[in-house]
Amino acid sequence: MFALRRWWTRHALKAGMVTLAVSSAWLLRASDGALIYEAYNWLTRPLQPGLSREQQFENSYILELQQRIVELENQNRSLQTMADYEAAVVREGIRAAVIGRAADHWWQQVVLNRGSRQGVAVGHVVTGPGGLIGRVIAVSPSTSRVLLISDPTSRVGAKVSRSRAMGVVRGQSNNRVVIEFFEKLPDVKTGDVIVTSSYSRLFPQDIPIGRIESIDLTKSPAPEAVIQLSSPLPILEWAMVHPFEPQETIDAPVLPGAAPENGAIPGGGARP
Amino acid sequence: MTSVARVSSRPLWRQPWVINSAVTAASVLVCLLLLPSRIPGMELLGVAPHWLLIWVVAWSIKRNQWQGAVAGLVLGLLQDAMTSPHPTHTLSLIVVGVLTARLQKQRYLQEDIVSVALIVFAMAVIAETVLALQISFNQLVSADSLYPPLGSIWLYHQRIALSSAILSSLWAPALYYPLNRWWDRYSSES
Repeated sequence: MFALRRWWTRHALKAGMVTLAVSSAWLLRASDGALIYEAYNWLTRPLQPGLSREQQFENSYILELQQRIVELENQNRSLQTMADYEAAVVREGIRAAVIGRAADHWWQQVVLNRGSRQGVAVGHVVTGPGGLIGRVIAVSPSTSRVLLISDPTSRVGAKVSRSRAMGVVRGQSNNRVVIEFFEKLPDVKTGDVIVTSSYSRLFPQDIPIGRIESIDLTKSPAPEAVIQLSSPLPILEWAMVHPFEPQETIDAPVLPGAAPENGAIPGGGARP
Repeated sequence: MTSVARVSSRPLWRQPWVINSAVTAASVLVCLLLLPSRIPGMELLGVAPHWLLIWVVAWSIKRNQWQGAVAGLVLGLLQDAMTSPHPTHTLSLIVVGVLTARLQKQRYLQEDIVSVALIVFAMAVIAETVLALQISFNQLVSADSLYPPLGSIWLYHQRIALSSAILSSLWAPALYYPLNRWWDRYSSES
């Protein structure tokens, strides 16, 4: 007892400091580092990209084109209702600037400057100029973290737009992605456009991903093709966050032999 | 309270141990905020310096292994918070803290900036290896692992271990020098 008390009088401060440090680090971890990312967002605010005059002109031109598309889509929809056609309606997105990258070398993530206060939630789909980028895996009040499709743990159900050959797009860490086909001899050639498939439960269908760069049909266990991404991931400055409800129900149809998709880990649920 | 606190009559926020802990915590915060940024010149093949590892080395170099391990645990938890808790970063940073504290520095190395850079180089390689081992273990054990096959894990490991080690050791003095000066001053004061 006496020894314990003597230890306490000598080391109380040190023990207190260690407990404080460990518990506050644990708390931050439990909140996915929201506080740190808030501080980061606040600090980098003066550096976040604004719009130049050229970009503004370009944007208004894009806006005009978008409005034309909306008109065409509406016409298309009214035609489709006549033909009983069912398609996923992509809703308006939230524009966000890329303010940071992964805090570690093993992950391919970006940090966006829009968070739960602006309506971003976990599972929302992120696109950039050109096509799919990834999905939101963590949010804080004014930032969100996106797992890129080039991350090695990312899986996206995809298809070849021309021939409807199905596959899974897998990240390769170094801003490269490959598509693994389900069939032994898929109908595919270089230059084919890859889009997300309707089997994907975490992404809406028909979002462009990229073009086939090279094909390796001899690859085991499944034929593989390297994809040139249509959005420039290493130099990304802007992104759009689209609200999307991932369908993570067990009894949803899954293709036999399909690898689990980005983030949906059966059993463990290890990665967010 | 300790004898230091009882004897001094200064207000709490002027006492040396409070100022020292505040400076220490602030330096950790600076490292955390540097992690997601990619400032031009701080990047090699898409890899940035491992600031937390430099901090752990700077902390452990003149302390015992337990202090090194606690620093590794705390900073590892913080990095988990900023990326993803699986696989955990605590293990690699604890290993770094303990190894740095146990190094026979007085026999082999002087406490100058060059030898600190050397230690950081070696520790960065060790830390990435520990992470790669964890990922390989996960890949081998669990059937539905999301990680790529072993070959590509270790190919990727080579690349990032080398670029992280080079960058971290080059940037190590920028963090080590001011921190070390501060801790030296604090220990001579108290």
